Amino acid sequence: MNPIDRSEVEDLLRIYIGEEIYIHSEATSYVFVRNFRVKLMQAFVAGEGPFRIAFRFDQIGWLRMEALTHVEEDRVGRLLLAGYDDRGRMNVALHLGKEPFPE
Amino acid sequence: MSTEPRKLLAVFAHPDDESFICGGTLAKYASSGVEITLVSATRGEMGRRMGNPPYLNRETMAEARELELREACKCLGISQLHFFDIRDKTVEFADPDQLADRIAGLIKEVDPDVILTFHEQWGGHPDHCAIGKSTVEALERTGMKKALYYISFGDSLAYPESFGYTREDISQINVSKFKKAKLAAFRAHRCQTEIDEWVWLPDKQAMNRFGDYEYFIKGNEEALRRDRNDLF
Repeated sequence: MNPIDRSEVEDLLRIYIGEEIYIHSEATSYVFVRNFRVKLMQAFVAGEGPFRIAFRFDQIGWLRMEALTHVEEDRVGRLLLAGYDDRGRMNVALHLGKEPFPE
Repeated sequence: MSTEPRKLLAVFAHPDDESFICGGTLAKYASSGVEITLVSATRGEMGRRMGNPPYLNRETMAEARELELREACKCLGISQLHFFDIRDKTVEFADPDQLADRIAGLIKEVDPDVILTFHEQWGGHPDHCAIGKSTVEALERTGMKKALYYISFGDSLAYPESFGYTREDISQINVSKFKKAKLAAFRAHRCQTEIDEWVWLPDKQAMNRFGDYEYFIKGNEEALRRDRNDLF
């Protein structure tokens, strides 16, 4: 995982706009959703780091997360975003894929 | 006299449960020839510690922790490892009937003398409590007479009265000669222990953190018949 560069992440998110995608999203100590299937219509990145990211879905719906610090496009082409604290503990994760994530 | 080796089956929830909680005991019995089979219901893939500095993400974690557990098994002398492929943090939502059946099948297959698992109430994590409950149910289903014990954290059961137990309910295993193996297993679980500076101190200093005993609650009549200082 690499530190987030905002404009790079904006470019990477653009690839998913208008697509049916699968999302994994978690606030690690509290909640996770895995394989929400949505059609992404808009994606926003805000902040100077840690970053905030928000999605709007087709028809209706939002997903907003904060505390994101790192990004990686993995070997199978999924976009993995995460927020770590200063000792390597995960606070949040936000993953986008065109195929389902393993259950 | 039977030449069949003694056998122990440990049914836990996450990679590292075996090392962090009762690694000394497992290393001790393995070194005396006991065949140990370990179940990890999950691969610990929803853990929060991702290395320090972090080198894992949610999608790479399962594989990394599986490898770490295999390494820890080597450190402790655990010969057989099974995963149940339940997603981390969801064991309590797995079908309890199927889970108990699966564990019962393994009990029949392994035919262990001793079974270790978590206490249904004091497991400390929902996955722990769930796998413990299903293991108790599984042993009942087999109708087999095996000594079942609940593992416990640290020295909390050195004074069992505060938990409503008497000394007779508790086994205490002297692991003072097996701290080196336990420490190696801690270090094998690198992504989980990098955050704990003491684990990476020189061996002698790090091993000072370990108590001389690991404690177990006797979970059934078979266990209650055993000596206080030996699970077998």
